[in-house]
Amino acid sequence: MKLNRSRRLRGAVIGLAAGALVLTGCSEGSDVGSDAGASEADAAAQSKPVTYGDEAASKGPAPEVKGAKKGGMIRVFEEADFGHLDPGQIYVSNSGQLASLIHRGLTMFKEDEKGNKKVVGDLATDSGTKSDGGKTWKYTLKDGIKDEDGDPITSEDIRHSVERLYSEVIFDGPVYLQQWLSGGGSSYRKALPDGPYKGDHLPDDVLETPDDKTVIFHFDKPRPDVPQALTLPGYSVVPKEDDTKKKYDQKPKSTGPYKIGEYTPDKSMKLVKNKHWDPKTDPYRHQYVDGFNITFNHKDADQTERLLADRGAAKNGVQLAGHVASSKTKKVMQEAKNRTIQGYQPYVWQMNMNMDRIKDKKVRDAITYALPNKQILTPDGGTFGGAVAPNLLAPTLPGHEKDYDPYGKLKNPNGQPEKAKKLLEKAGKKGMKLLYATSDEPVRQDQAAIIEKALSDAGFDVQKKVINGATWYEQLGKVDNGFDIYMTGWGQDWPSPSTVIPPSYDGDQIQDGASNYSHIDDKHVDKEIDRISEIVDPKKAVKEWQKLHKYILEEVNPAAPLYYTKSLQMHGSNVGGARYSTTKSYIDLTRLYLKK
Amino acid sequence: MWTRFKRDRTGVISACVVIAFFAIAALAPVISALYGKDPYTQYGLEQEGLLDPFGLPAGANGGISVDFWFGVEPTLGRDVFILLVYGMRTSLFTALAVAVPMVVTGIIIGLVGGYMGGKVDYWLGRLTDFMMALPSQLTLIATMPVVVAVFVSPNEETPTYIRTCAIIIVLWVLGWMSMARLVRSQVLTLREREFVEAAKVAGMPPWRIVRKELLPNLFTPILVQATYMLPSAILSIAFLSFVGVGYVEPTPSWGRMFVTAAENYEANPTFMFFPGIAMVIFVVAFNLLGDSVRDAFDPKSGR
Repeated sequence: MKLNRSRRLRGAVIGLAAGALVLTGCSEGSDVGSDAGASEADAAAQSKPVTYGDEAASKGPAPEVKGAKKGGMIRVFEEADFGHLDPGQIYVSNSGQLASLIHRGLTMFKEDEKGNKKVVGDLATDSGTKSDGGKTWKYTLKDGIKDEDGDPITSEDIRHSVERLYSEVIFDGPVYLQQWLSGGGSSYRKALPDGPYKGDHLPDDVLETPDDKTVIFHFDKPRPDVPQALTLPGYSVVPKEDDTKKKYDQKPKSTGPYKIGEYTPDKSMKLVKNKHWDPKTDPYRHQYVDGFNITFNHKDADQTERLLADRGAAKNGVQLAGHVASSKTKKVMQEAKNRTIQGYQPYVWQMNMNMDRIKDKKVRDAITYALPNKQILTPDGGTFGGAVAPNLLAPTLPGHEKDYDPYGKLKNPNGQPEKAKKLLEKAGKKGMKLLYATSDEPVRQDQAAIIEKALSDAGFDVQKKVINGATWYEQLGKVDNGFDIYMTGWGQDWPSPSTVIPPSYDGDQIQDGASNYSHIDDKHVDKEIDRISEIVDPKKAVKEWQKLHKYILEEVNPAAPLYYTKSLQMHGSNVGGARYSTTKSYIDLTRLYLKK
Repeated sequence: MWTRFKRDRTGVISACVVIAFFAIAALAPVISALYGKDPYTQYGLEQEGLLDPFGLPAGANGGISVDFWFGVEPTLGRDVFILLVYGMRTSLFTALAVAVPMVVTGIIIGLVGGYMGGKVDYWLGRLTDFMMALPSQLTLIATMPVVVAVFVSPNEETPTYIRTCAIIIVLWVLGWMSMARLVRSQVLTLREREFVEAAKVAGMPPWRIVRKELLPNLFTPILVQATYMLPSAILSIAFLSFVGVGYVEPTPSWGRMFVTAAENYEANPTFMFFPGIAMVIFVVAFNLLGDSVRDAFDPKSGR
């Protein structure tokens, strides 16, 4: 009996080993450094200064996409349901992508093939007329703009859309416009605590609607960025008659080329044509396909797998806010490179050093020198996922200087542990305990292993704490978060350093939930931020921001720059017109068609 | 009995394999010194050319070369061979530390319940039933973070030994029941037998009866059951690390290796091969060893 059994067993083991060898045979090596994803040259196009378009540029219909055909449904694979549908609540990511199809605001970005961006009027006839040195902005509404029920949009609706942002109904969207109109922090809410819902309105010296077609904003300081701020989906119009307050977040009215047909939360959504959308009023969007079939619960790997296989409905498939899974990047680039869309995202990942706890600049410099940027980038997709960041301004920002490298990150992408060690010894803090918070997502765990090792090598006693990724920003946003160092990413809201430096480095902004994660509170920085924010000439402002950026990075050093991120998405073989949107930093949904 | 075992070829081979695994695990630092690499250095990130721009091994077959016998880990670029050896150390020693208290608890509860009978048996039996009714994998995932949080202050890193203790405690509490039931049923049949009756009549104290009359007769089933429990403990530990509540980076463990392998199985199947084969061989060998040991103890039970 025994002999027999053991012989059978041996056969099984050999079979197993042989199978594994066959498997291994398929895994070929690859050449190093053949391709590196989106380049700095692409980014240069993205960081071109924005121009403001006049009435002619704001007229519809949008220029035809070459070879575009009508008809068909586009299939969308998406990881999670949209966070918000109410435009006032929408800030970024997949909701922002959806907003480009169903919501319209006063202004919008128009891009061309080369990545030139122009702010043009969307509901308004142009990008805005300023007077009084940039303190007053006037908008006139176009003729023939209607919501999905066919009701015309008037200046009353615009007033309502702005005023409802003051009420408790809205808590997640952008706050630029409200703060500029009625005061910083959350003090603007006091100007109109109940929004427009109880009959109160903003006074005419703040928001004026003299007739059905005219909207005038009055600010107390020059606000040169108003046209760009108004492009945010958060400032899209909500028709007064249809506002259902909190319920609006489940069932918004569309003004764009598509409207929500069927919607099962957390499962699927179907977008269908909005027949009251008039292409003659829209300078940029198209209505080529009949609609979009969106299903949720597809992780990045699943999306990539389906689009790569390119079978059935996936031929008409696109990714909305998902990316090519980093473990499948190689396969995608080898087999379907012509179906990918690449570009720089506006995000900069940085290692914040909590300045309430690490007060010695030498220590902060030591941490900055010790961090191996290139290694940290590897788990997040390597050269396809991003690029080593030598400073804190992303390549998508006007004012980005790609050679400005105060901590030698480009020359020594793997850090300078020796230099860090010496600095730490000089500061007399060798073996200093460093509380390092990291998220529990797999990518961040890999990065944490790298960071922990690099800092230990430089002479720190690293104490790693793992935090749930879902509550990451909430926990770190607390002023008293109790940690020394932690990674965060921040991106511009529109292409101007004024949406990066003030939110992240203004000492007046330190409060629970604010984005000044390093708690930098420097008098010079605060003063400069107030001064530069009022400079009307964008070119001059950019120069001043650059100077301030250098001061922050060299004299204060609140956060070590780690890497800039890139976007790599893909689509099915039957999808045409796919292009990277430099303002959305995802695929541009408004110009897609099906080749058939 | 020993001669019977020696005649069983399967048993001898699997015993050798098992001993070899334990030897490798115990000697991991020595192997590391001889091999010249440790499981924490990220070679692929420090040396250019080992990983390609996608973070995958640049060489063929997962980067297997003279320097890296089993290849290079994707993304972090550690050496797979030494990672496997240290992972084996983590898995085996934790499994041993789990299996021993599991077996001891099972024996004690089974013995007490079986021998005392009555109310004691009833309540111990209900406790066992209750523990068995818990969905063990879900309970594992739910209780691990709690156990860790109990031991660690919020502003310090969770030391690895605490994670180890937590794993041991959780697996132990959820894993002794099968042994207890087995022992109880055996004791129930034994305690009515003549030699136990005789001992009782002769006035032997209960503790002595248990030790001298019952335990020796229970040895075989206990040993066999224990040899099944150890490999299953290894699998459970790997499972915990795989779902992210067991060991975390940078502790080398088989579970973590499977996570990496699962992420990269398409682009780099070689990586799955080594931890997979190592685990399969070990579990199979240990189970076969258990079979053979039982056969050797009890020649009549052959199939």
